[in-house]
Amino acid sequence: MPAIRSTIERLDKPSSYASAKVRIPLSIQKRRPRRNDDGEPSPEPEDKLKDATTLYVGNLSFYTTEEQIHELFSKCGEIKRLVMGLDRFQKTPCGFCFVEYYTHQDALDCMKYIGGTKLDERVIRTDLDEGFAEGRQYGRGKSGGQVRDEYRNEYDPGRGGFGRAVDEYGEERDYR
Amino acid sequence: MADMDVKIEDKEERRDRGGGGGGGGGRGRSNGNNRKRRYDDEDDNQYDRRGPPQRRRRDDGPPPRRRYEEPPLAKLRRMLLNVASSTQLPQDEVTYIAKTLGENFDDEELRSQFFDILVQLIIEQPFKIPFVAAVAFYGNDVKPEITVEAIKRVAARTQEALNAGQWTEFKLMLRFLACLQSLYQDTGIFVFLGQLFDTVVDLQSANENDVVGIELVKIILLTIPYALVSGGSRFHEQAAELLKNTGIVASNVLPMEGLIHSYVRDSEETPISYLSVIGLLQTQLTNEAQSGWTFACIPRFDANALQMTADEEALPSAPPTHLFPTFTIPSPVNPGPKPLFPEAYFSLFADQDIETVPKTTDVAASLIRDAIVDTIDQMDFNREVVAKFLVDLDCYWSLETFAKRGIPFDKFRELVGDKILWKSEDMVIDAIFSQLLKLPSPEHKLVYYHSLITQSCKVAPAAIAPSLGRAIRCLYRSLHIMDLELVNRFLDWFSHHLSNFEFRWRWTEWVEDLHLPNLHPKKAFVIAALDKEIRLSFAKRIRSTVPEEMHPLIPERLDEDNSPDFKYDNVDTPFAAEGQTLLVQLRKKASTEDTQETINSIHEKAAQLGIADPLVPSTDAFVTAICRLGAKSLSHVLSCIERGKERLLKIAESSPAARRQIVASVVEYWKDQPGVAVRIIDILLNYTILAPITVVQWVFGDHMGAGEALTESWVFEMVANTVAKVTKRNRQIAVARLQKGLPQEQVEMVDATLTKDRDASRELFKYIEDAVKGVAEGASDRLIEKESSGELSAESAELIRNWGRRWHTVFVRKAQVEESVVGEDAVEARIRLLAAEPESAPEPMQVEGNGVTKAEVEANGDDEML
Repeated sequence: MPAIRSTIERLDKPSSYASAKVRIPLSIQKRRPRRNDDGEPSPEPEDKLKDATTLYVGNLSFYTTEEQIHELFSKCGEIKRLVMGLDRFQKTPCGFCFVEYYTHQDALDCMKYIGGTKLDERVIRTDLDEGFAEGRQYGRGKSGGQVRDEYRNEYDPGRGGFGRAVDEYGEERDYR
Repeated sequence: MADMDVKIEDKEERRDRGGGGGGGGGRGRSNGNNRKRRYDDEDDNQYDRRGPPQRRRRDDGPPPRRRYEEPPLAKLRRMLLNVASSTQLPQDEVTYIAKTLGENFDDEELRSQFFDILVQLIIEQPFKIPFVAAVAFYGNDVKPEITVEAIKRVAARTQEALNAGQWTEFKLMLRFLACLQSLYQDTGIFVFLGQLFDTVVDLQSANENDVVGIELVKIILLTIPYALVSGGSRFHEQAAELLKNTGIVASNVLPMEGLIHSYVRDSEETPISYLSVIGLLQTQLTNEAQSGWTFACIPRFDANALQMTADEEALPSAPPTHLFPTFTIPSPVNPGPKPLFPEAYFSLFADQDIETVPKTTDVAASLIRDAIVDTIDQMDFNREVVAKFLVDLDCYWSLETFAKRGIPFDKFRELVGDKILWKSEDMVIDAIFSQLLKLPSPEHKLVYYHSLITQSCKVAPAAIAPSLGRAIRCLYRSLHIMDLELVNRFLDWFSHHLSNFEFRWRWTEWVEDLHLPNLHPKKAFVIAALDKEIRLSFAKRIRSTVPEEMHPLIPERLDEDNSPDFKYDNVDTPFAAEGQTLLVQLRKKASTEDTQETINSIHEKAAQLGIADPLVPSTDAFVTAICRLGAKSLSHVLSCIERGKERLLKIAESSPAARRQIVASVVEYWKDQPGVAVRIIDILLNYTILAPITVVQWVFGDHMGAGEALTESWVFEMVANTVAKVTKRNRQIAVARLQKGLPQEQVEMVDATLTKDRDASRELFKYIEDAVKGVAEGASDRLIEKESSGELSAESAELIRNWGRRWHTVFVRKAQVEESVVGEDAVEARIRLLAAEPESAPEPMQVEGNGVTKAEVEANGDDEML
């Protein structure tokens, strides 16, 4: 019997980005057939997130503090760990974090009840995450922050103004 | 309403063209399969070979355009999911669905999927049950097999829910079956309702505190209206008979009910007196019986709609009737996975001068409330869709039930006139608050209801926001008599809600309460609300959103964005030098010996000063230094605690006064931001540096004073958090005990832990109860002292006693609830139930298998009859 589908979409599903991320990398897939040795199909990518207790939280203001995040996110359950996303060079908050709960259910509830609501007057984004690993707290953009803040054309005072690449290259940005 | 509907219709249209499949929220993931299947179907259509239906082709192609034929399953799915949510007449929709289903009934895949959706729709979207049932009803005219299959599938699920004690699901399935009452032979559903009542009698005579029976009576009473609307007057007698029986149970009052009052019990000002859900239903149905069982709000369908339009496709002349499925009520009855409690009916808007919601004597109040609450609770996984359903509430009830949407309250009576029409926004807000403020505990995490209110405001701001404003004012007015746990839920919601709407609130209307003493519940609320807002934002921002008169309530220090002062920086503070040294030593990760040297120096000086327990000042210095060094963020304080963990553990072991000092120092350092203190205490509890009883002893022994501290919401928060930690753990242990097939040695181990922790929890509750009872009764020494010395006015002392009483109610209730979940009797009852279960507990799938078999026997009987 196939799993029963809901009559409406669920808000506690990982984004396509998160699902794609935990999928087996192509390089490994090539070496290994789609099926395991015993003929079992390899696990669905979402299975890796089926016990996820960690959430990626995005679109935070650079000025949002751990205390604020705690205050909001503990409404879904006790927080086990909070890791602030930092600018790789400056080691200052750069607008994202990882929130780890004790249970998977708390993480799902957070997707349903907190994702898409406001913290510090910004609509925040939550996504299920496979779990924090050292190094992932740093921005991967060229200038140290998140990639999305490199080329932003709109002024966002909560996230350092214009995109950094824009600042740097000014008018030339369109040609790069 | 018209405007709204047009918009929805537009969307529906667009969705169709886009070929998205299920609408009304049926978008997204659930479409994947559909779309694929549809493309496959298209391959059979030579004109559409090149691909999926393209909107572009329709846009640029000149007429005549070839209309893309939607495959039957996709169409049925879309129509069923969206039933009653467009401007189309629901009756036209459901007859069309029934006919289309009849035409395609031979398609086994389609049939199977259609009924899957039907069952799921009943569970997830209770508003639509009468409409979904109407499909099965008209199906009987089109092709009786439709009705047979629908009854069979729903009956199987009903049995499954009954076996598992999933009461909401059971109720909803039964409602569907009740809506087909006119199609059954003999008395139909009433025989089964009678059997259910017999079970109630058995349960109640076996246990006077039984709550499962109450749940069953609620289900019986909520099913009768739907059965009567379908079955008509020939069942009035049966209903009356049943109602006579349920009366005894419904009027019975359980001890627990004394503890779930939303407002202080004996207050004359109470906005709504205590009404038990089943007691109320019983009264309402009795009233309805006297007025001829009209149930005006339940949507109706013309029984002959299909017969009249029937053209050459001759319909069977006399559609068959069916046997009501037989169900087996398990013995013992499975109480279900969640602890059950009696329920109170709560309303903010009922029985007021301007009638915007049904009177509490009107059965519509319960019927509509029940459906709204189930809609909210069954679909917590998509608040966006729930909010849309709630805003569309008027679509799902009789035409003459609600007034036009969004009529302002002050014009309501004028515009509505003499007719009794209700304000749908008020009913929605009323229902959400009834869940947010449900005692002893809400169905879902409170934050769900927060986000649902936020979402509803986003969907229909002009209509919802004014109702919400009235709700807030109504609650604020009654703060002084509201259950204290509910005050804190209201507070938490209010501040969170405002944080989603730029902190906009008309504070000026509360400015007049600022002259009240801080001990007054209203003033205490304002202070606490500002603190909670600041926690989610920052002080300067919040200051900018409130009138100047309120600025003194926000400590000025908070405007500067820096850490609280370190008191040892002031040389006049005793042990200033040592305090500073400790801070340096902590920062530099000095050796244990070096730190000990500083601490010893404090001990020596303290001894010279004649301080009884020198460990107290040294603990103060050490913990304050940890707070100062960790002031930058919670992570910082966490790593500082980690660094000082050994010493803190040793302190906690050696002196009761010193371990309470740990709490005291944290709270003192963070006195302007008590939220941070509450978090740090929480961390210390997790590290087991602090024991729960230590926190409670500090609160009631050291901090409470004459009871003034009971007015501070963060104190309540700290105690409630501490208690919650203990009860959560106990429940986990109880769950561990209730695993099936636990080896004997583990049973003993778990039992021992449970016994020990249960006692600890009782000790904790006892301590709290005794402490607040002293204040409540005015027996507390310090309260007597302060009042007789004139330090506290008689008025203030009475305010404090009132706080004491409300604290007392909350913690007596919490203690009782825990007894009913993890107490010896409760756990033993569950163990007996576990033992009574069949050896190999059937998997969910097999349960359905069993159910189906049973239903199939019935259906076969039906087949013969056909």
